[in-house]
Amino acid sequence: MDANTIIFGGISLLSLAVFFYLGRFRASSKQTDREDRIDWSSRKFSLWKIFLYSLVAVGGIILLTQFI
Amino acid sequence: MSNHKALNMFGRSGNPSLNAQTFANSAKDANFSNYVPAATMTLEGTVNKTGILLALVFISAFYTWSMFFSTGNPATVMPLAIGGAIVGLVLAIVTIFKKQWSGITAPLYAIAEGLFLGAISAIFEAQYPGIVIQAVGLTLGTLASLLFLYKTGIVKPTENFRLMVTSATMGIALLYLVSMLMNMFGSGGIGFIHSNGLFGIGFSLFVVGIAALNLVLDFDFIEQGSEMGAPKYMEWFGAFSLMVTLIWLYLEMLRLLAKLRSR
Repeated sequence: MDANTIIFGGISLLSLAVFFYLGRFRASSKQTDREDRIDWSSRKFSLWKIFLYSLVAVGGIILLTQFI
Repeated sequence: MSNHKALNMFGRSGNPSLNAQTFANSAKDANFSNYVPAATMTLEGTVNKTGILLALVFISAFYTWSMFFSTGNPATVMPLAIGGAIVGLVLAIVTIFKKQWSGITAPLYAIAEGLFLGAISAIFEAQYPGIVIQAVGLTLGTLASLLFLYKTGIVKPTENFRLMVTSATMGIALLYLVSMLMNMFGSGGIGFIHSNGLFGIGFSLFVVGIAALNLVLDFDFIEQGSEMGAPKYMEWFGAFSLMVTLIWLYLEMLRLLAKLRSR
């Protein structure tokens, strides 16, 4: 087993342990008591705005590639 | 004349102790506000289901991975890889529109994606030895780090955060689609997003960043779902949405590391 496998394998196992440990706890009150939390039950999330921003971003990148 | 029979019969109650807040207050007084019925979404249930999906991905990925290394021929695993990717895409779409079926479709999605990931990972590993364990380590490291930042309230997702991340994700998907279509019609695609130059690596870093920020949205969705007592099947859906993001993040990590290695 080489150093690369030991280091990144160790990071993987440690990260999984952190995920399974931390994941069971509620987030801190700094996170849950905010007024500006995302409202996941809301239907007013503007899909058209997302689509517009995405198109602008893609158009910008394609234009950029013409000058690179 | 009121439409309510009870109001016609008894008239509106003038009793000040009976109002809209009565039952809410009595639940608070009896400390029922912490009571969660057994059949609702919990954080622990979602974490356990994420563990099950991760295990299924690893098991089915190991199958195509070992198949590739026993023959050394990519042609032996490509049908399984392409089949896994297509079946995974169909199951993902079904899961998004039929969340109630998540308990069945999410594990099947994990198995299908595992077949795809195992084959792709093996091909990358044959070309750049050691790259797969690096990509796995960086992906899971990002997952743990962002979970810590979310739980402690250091990263706070808001509506504008969601708008920004979702728009960028859609933009990346559109860009990949345009590039794929350009490739199909022989124009070479959008050159720099696949190159190993500075712009190509910069683009890959940006995509990895957006994929990582999607994890924060998944954490918030799961946290609020369990707070609001969402139905039990939403545990599977929460785990599924986390898996979709993790698989995307892993693939982008592989691409980024491959670009860096090929310089």
